Amino acid sequence: MTLTTPTPHQNKGRTRKSRRSPYLTALTTARGRTGLLLVLLVALAGVLAPVLSGHAPTDQSGDTLLPPLSAGHPLGTDDLGRDLLSRVLYGIRADLGIIAVAVPLGAAAGCACALLAAVHPVVDTVVQRAFDLVLAFPGLILALAVTAVLGPGRTPVIVVIAVAEIPVFGRQLRAGILVQRGREYVAAARVGGTGRARLLTRHILPNATDPLIVQLAVSLTVAVFIEGAMSFLGVGVRPPTPTLGGVLSQSMPYLSQHPNYAAGPLLAVTALVLGLSLLAEALNREVRR
Amino acid sequence: MTDPSPRPSLPDAPTRRTTLRAAGGGAALLGLGLAGCRSAVSDSKSAGAGGTSDAPRRGGTLDIAINADFTPALLFTQTGQSLQNRLVFNTLTRYDDSLRPQPELATSWTYAKDGRSITLRLRDDVTYHDGRKFTADDVVFAVRNLQNPLRAAQLRATALAVSGFEKRGDHELVLKLKHPVANLFDLFEFMIITDPDSVEQAVTGKKLNGTGPFKLAKWSPGTGLSLTRNADYWQPGRPYLDRVELRVVAQAEALLSSLRTGQSQLSYDVPGKTLASLTSDGTLRTKEYAVGGGAAYLGVNTTVKPLDDPTVRHALAWAVDRERLVKQTLGGYGFASAAPWPKSSPAYTEANRTHYTYDPGKARELLKSAGHSRLDLPLLHVNTPGETANAESVQYDLKQIGVHTTLEPTDPAVSQKKLISQGMPALWVQGHGFAQVQPSTLAVSAYPFNEAKNTSKYRSEEYTAIVRKAWTGTGLSGSASRALYQEISDVLLDAAFVIDLAVRGRVETASTKLHGVTINKFAYLNLDNAYLASGS
Repeated sequence: MTLTTPTPHQNKGRTRKSRRSPYLTALTTARGRTGLLLVLLVALAGVLAPVLSGHAPTDQSGDTLLPPLSAGHPLGTDDLGRDLLSRVLYGIRADLGIIAVAVPLGAAAGCACALLAAVHPVVDTVVQRAFDLVLAFPGLILALAVTAVLGPGRTPVIVVIAVAEIPVFGRQLRAGILVQRGREYVAAARVGGTGRARLLTRHILPNATDPLIVQLAVSLTVAVFIEGAMSFLGVGVRPPTPTLGGVLSQSMPYLSQHPNYAAGPLLAVTALVLGLSLLAEALNREVRR
Repeated sequence: MTDPSPRPSLPDAPTRRTTLRAAGGGAALLGLGLAGCRSAVSDSKSAGAGGTSDAPRRGGTLDIAINADFTPALLFTQTGQSLQNRLVFNTLTRYDDSLRPQPELATSWTYAKDGRSITLRLRDDVTYHDGRKFTADDVVFAVRNLQNPLRAAQLRATALAVSGFEKRGDHELVLKLKHPVANLFDLFEFMIITDPDSVEQAVTGKKLNGTGPFKLAKWSPGTGLSLTRNADYWQPGRPYLDRVELRVVAQAEALLSSLRTGQSQLSYDVPGKTLASLTSDGTLRTKEYAVGGGAAYLGVNTTVKPLDDPTVRHALAWAVDRERLVKQTLGGYGFASAAPWPKSSPAYTEANRTHYTYDPGKARELLKSAGHSRLDLPLLHVNTPGETANAESVQYDLKQIGVHTTLEPTDPAVSQKKLISQGMPALWVQGHGFAQVQPSTLAVSAYPFNEAKNTSKYRSEEYTAIVRKAWTGTGLSGSASRALYQEISDVLLDAAFVIDLAVRGRVETASTKLHGVTINKFAYLNLDNAYLASGS
């Protein structure tokens, strides 16, 4: 008997010349372009923080709560006389640094768990119950629990985001594996003598990754919120390092008299979250097409 | 049938235009008149509401916003939240603004000539909330209760100086002392008189049976305390208020909103730097208590190298810009000071206050002379916004002289535990009290300063000797006691194991309708004469 049914992965490879990658197609849509532009703008602001700001983010002065467009301080200063533009730009940098590490870490760990679960039903049950346990904790409760053990800082924030994302990616990939496992190409590969590990990693996994790319964009959005919330509650990155949530938290007592204090971090968070959300939506539409 | 003859025209009859004009004018006048009346009524109402001429009014509920809940286990310890102590309980005496004791449950007192005993005469018309009569036995219990180390009372050393009791009837008591004690009236102002039978229930928050103007109706952990009027209070006709609610509003922003919207009418927890936005609101007023609301300080663990070297500690003391700290993080409430004393303290002097000023050049030189150009040290602080800002400010100033610190934000309860158990790291920024009463109290009672066991682990025979002399010296002349206080200040400033930064003012933020509120030296709230003016 000869194998006549090509695997979907092989199919994809064969039609790649005639059909553009859905990811690239997603980026050419209005939604995708707008999202990408917003994310790039915010990311560039963070990356170029040392060039764009003329002050160190932790340098204090006697010039307390200067209004926007003050000499040398385009966004004004905070309650300790620190340049707000500098703090927002370095805050973006800190946030991006955290989510760029934490989300892929959570994604990798979640995928590893899903692959492990696919090996044996007993392992699957154990992994699923572990996922249930993590999901039972709301994000902030999890954050408070982790920081109660590790104390506040950058590492605990990364750990919280990564742990929160593990079941999300794990469940997503597990669903994909279950769908793909029933396909003919998998049966054919198994009949052809492909081992369990190779079957999972070389045949099933590449065909189950599309939803994960979309999930990655969604998770980056969630990570921005978790970091912001942790810093806002005072259990995030240690002061005086600025983060968007931290600057926002410090601005709260001055909202009525100095609303400009909160404007910078709010705009940056909004642009970043909106950009990532638009990207996620654009990717989702193209992947599902 | 119609009358064909033309009707003679009436020369004074108004035309339609005139009628309309008149109607319009009348309506306008009526409108203006009504508006005028309404304004008058409104003005009258607002005058009544905000006016200060109203006579005390019985009734009403006072809502107090607090940023931390009542902690029953710390009922006998001075904490950041002790407002309820003088509401539910009474003390034996209270200080006036000049630190002269005034009667409360003790009506009069006589010191023995040798300073080794004091005779107290007590009120005989006082009953507990459960109807039991207050007697001298309750005072005996109150002193013994504070001697119990489990109560963690800061004035335990003074309570321990009481070695015996001699009852002379139910309402006269002689306290016998091991040695003369200069701060006995600090103890009498600090020590709440509790019911011996229910004290164990009191420290779990189940029952608070006192003699104070309000009874405990309910304590909801995390939410606050509900108190109702004690109709049998020993001061006739007092209190005026029917209920007092102490509501926990942990977030500073929510606390501000609570005051602005009238959900609460009183708070002592508004951060100084945000007070400016409140005072612009005509419905609220602020009052700063000159007695001092504690001092912000930089604590130094003298067992951590190189902080065991006084030169390094002096460098730290010269490095901090105290004026900037007061302006930026305390909102201008309080004053920069290198010494712990508020201006109302007999130990206060301008020379002590300005002993260390901001001189980073001198600080760097001192550090260099001690053989250091860069130090890396941890700096613990409580993770509330105000304390974090203090720590950030200090951290920046220290960095300018080469002392790089890593901030360690810590939960208030953990921080307090570390303070008591001498578990602080190399440096910490916090607040201390006990400088607002007799100067010797600071050095025998406050954890950071205690000569026998302090958080900095600083020991010095000289310090102990001077403190003991000031503590046990009674009947000293004004100049002799001032000389002793100066000796304490000299040791504190020279040893620099506690580097004082600023003496904070305790700021009361209250509705303009609220009158007659006071606090004692230990921040116990007194609402005996408080009332809400009409319109509330």
